[in-house]
Amino acid sequence: MKKAIIGISAAVIWLICVILFAVAAKSGSGAEHQFTVLTVKEDAVKDYNTMPVFKQLAEDTGIEVHWIYNTSTQYSNNTDPVGIKGIDAIYHSGFSNLKLYDYGRRGRIVAIDDYLRVMPNFSKILKERPDIQEALKSPDGHIYSLPRVEEMGLKAYPNMLYLNKKWVEKLINDSDKELPAGVSLTAADLVDGLDLSRNQFKAILQKFNEYDMDGDGSTNNEVPLAFVSGNWQGNESDLIASFGVPENREHKTIVDGKITFTVEDEKWFTAVCELADWNQKGLIRSSSFTQTDSDFLARGQDGRYGSFYWWEKDTVLDKTKRDDYIIVLPLKDDDGNRYVGVSNELEVEKGACVVLDACEDKEGLLSYFDKFFEPDYSAQLNYGSIQSGAFLSQKVNGKLIPNDNHGEQSADDFRMKNAPYGVVYLTKEVWENNVQMETRASLRLENIDKYVKPYTFKVADSFATSIPNLNYTQEELISLNTYESSLSNNIASWFATSITGGATPTRESWQNLLTTNKNSLDTVKSINQAAYDRYVAATQGN
Amino acid sequence: MNNDMAVVEPDGGEAQADLVEQAYESLDGKPDLQKPQPQTKWEKWKDNFKRKGWVLVFILPALIYIIIFCYVPMYGILVAFQDYMPGDQIIGSSTAWIGFDNFKTFFSNPNFGTYFLNTFVLCILGFIVGFPLPIIVALLLNSLRSKKVKKGLQVLYYAPHFISLVVLVGMLKLIFGSDGLLDQLSIKMGGDVNGLKLFLSPEAFRPLFIFSGNWQDFGWSAIIYLAALSGVDPSLHEAAKVDGASRFRRIFSVDLPAILPTIVMLMILSVGNLMSCGYEKVLLMQTNGNLETSEILSTYVYTFGLVGGQYGVGTAAGLFNSVINVALLVIANFTSKKLAKQSMW
Repeated sequence: MKKAIIGISAAVIWLICVILFAVAAKSGSGAEHQFTVLTVKEDAVKDYNTMPVFKQLAEDTGIEVHWIYNTSTQYSNNTDPVGIKGIDAIYHSGFSNLKLYDYGRRGRIVAIDDYLRVMPNFSKILKERPDIQEALKSPDGHIYSLPRVEEMGLKAYPNMLYLNKKWVEKLINDSDKELPAGVSLTAADLVDGLDLSRNQFKAILQKFNEYDMDGDGSTNNEVPLAFVSGNWQGNESDLIASFGVPENREHKTIVDGKITFTVEDEKWFTAVCELADWNQKGLIRSSSFTQTDSDFLARGQDGRYGSFYWWEKDTVLDKTKRDDYIIVLPLKDDDGNRYVGVSNELEVEKGACVVLDACEDKEGLLSYFDKFFEPDYSAQLNYGSIQSGAFLSQKVNGKLIPNDNHGEQSADDFRMKNAPYGVVYLTKEVWENNVQMETRASLRLENIDKYVKPYTFKVADSFATSIPNLNYTQEELISLNTYESSLSNNIASWFATSITGGATPTRESWQNLLTTNKNSLDTVKSINQAAYDRYVAATQGN
Repeated sequence: MNNDMAVVEPDGGEAQADLVEQAYESLDGKPDLQKPQPQTKWEKWKDNFKRKGWVLVFILPALIYIIIFCYVPMYGILVAFQDYMPGDQIIGSSTAWIGFDNFKTFFSNPNFGTYFLNTFVLCILGFIVGFPLPIIVALLLNSLRSKKVKKGLQVLYYAPHFISLVVLVGMLKLIFGSDGLLDQLSIKMGGDVNGLKLFLSPEAFRPLFIFSGNWQDFGWSAIIYLAALSGVDPSLHEAAKVDGASRFRRIFSVDLPAILPTIVMLMILSVGNLMSCGYEKVLLMQTNGNLETSEILSTYVYTFGLVGGQYGVGTAAGLFNSVINVALLVIANFTSKKLAKQSMW
């Protein structure tokens, strides 16, 4: 009994302490602020409230914003983040076209175009860039979110083929190994921009598969070619494109002004058959169709890949292995032509920030966010602040210069911790006049310009292009949601099972895929075509 | 639970009252003024409540739980007939009623037939394998002589129930996935360098899903049958032994009939949940390779309704699923009533 009384008393005292502490904490945190903004942030990212860039913004605007957080898991589990009490806006809202419109037409998020009078920077952008204005519009013509614009020209080409030159050197030099017939390479040839046909590349991969290339006594653990199927970068699209089809991960692109599905192309079917053969021969492992990007990155660190697709090699390889790999030009087809497709990853993204109707001073908050579009702020939001060491403290020729030296930290780690990302406006003009690109981004761009971009698929003089951020009507959005999700499921399923099924896919199965999905293909194409035609009409002449 | 019992009790009570009345009358041939007057139903109920009413307190928590968590949220199915977003009024002046449009969208999905069939096949197979397994295990455990072995095996069997789904699927991937244990063994033994590709195979998805689920739950589900078996009168076993019944015969002739009402009741309940495969484990096990069999109604509700923000369509799909479950429940109850003379109502 005595013990029980002591236990209960201890529990009551503990509870009182917790309550008192919570009350004290609440009253202690009562620093004056005008707005509360919810943002989606992982724990590893620094507290926005202490980030120098936001302190500087507060000084410049006289507006205090208090940031509160959800992790991406918490946020995605919340079916109604707009309904959270006490917040004025959601940063990194990630709302889809349909959600933006649904919230917007109910008046729960603010139509930003009604407040352009207090947003000089954003107004100017919309005037100068009708394509961005068109991209941001909802079916009712309103703009419900602030955009993220990061035009570097990188996203359209997210795959580059890297080859393990050390392994090729072994084929050239080792007495117990040999280069495949039809491939004559010397060590001097093994530099960035290696010119190979698809057949030569396949023959080299077969040798990687045949020999113990890493010298560990086993011929089973080498991975001749690795990628992450369907991932936004480092996917198999450019391998398929080498068959003369403008492939991307959605199998959907614009050729000569027409929305095109690559799956309907005979060459796409040929490519799938060939990839199935590569899988049966062990050149592409089935794990490429199940692994996540983190699996892929973890497995690649020790240099066990004979070749891989990714948009740069530094993230895939350990420091000690990076020099072992070289860039291969897009593979030549039987006629000596090279092709790559363009991805539909957009450089203008909607939903970077929404302001809620519950916000009492919408003009004040939007005038604060308008500052984000200024080049210096955009750069610091995207990479980290000057004070944190993301940029040199002195501008050179009026441009912010990125600081590449982060000590022990990798550039990725530094950026991940220090940059809030979100609403930014970094266009070609900004890169030319106000901010210098990161060295690694410049290098990536240089490599793309040199080794990939010139081989973009084209018909006559018309290059394949990404599908821009299109503006759909409400009916179109609902139809797209229905048909596109089932279509992409069916294509993804057929694609994966055909390649990894252990047999060459039959023409009948491919035609069956097209026949059973004809309605979906036609509907998705016609909706996209109509939206694209409207987009062209709205932006032409600018 | 037992309808026959419920009918017999009042009849028996009335017959008893008649007997008592006759007994009083037979004492002196005249009605006795002191004899208790016959009670009305209401009076009987009041009397009963006064004497035993406190027992109802025991069912109160369960009743409150069911009302709050099962009945109150049911008004949410109205969302299936609305253009709804979280935050909207479900019943109010601003509610946007759109009739059956959400159902039309759901049924017009080109993959509706596939999703429905996949759900049905997955759940039916799961039921066929998963329903008898705990009964067999309970009967076998019950017939073990050593209590220690019985307890040990019981703990061993139900321990996997406490593994979370994420961990379970992680284990499956480590064993059956790309570069997993089985793949490594197969490659070492000279098999295909791609391994067994079980997570990419539409054919392997159902066995993996069903057997892993049953491995996790058969021990736990067996507990209720073990409890039912513990109520079997040992004298029945003794008598059967005397009659020369083998252990196997006793399972069939004594144990099984004894737990038959429990089996029937659980079977009816299981059939009522037949189409309710959760989406979590399916999503965790899903790859592009097995989509052909792994895309089911509940994953559709999750991806299209919750993630895609089409709450009305998602609810319509969920409601459709529930209607099928109710229909199955009614059919199962009716069949059981006809064949086994056991039913829920």
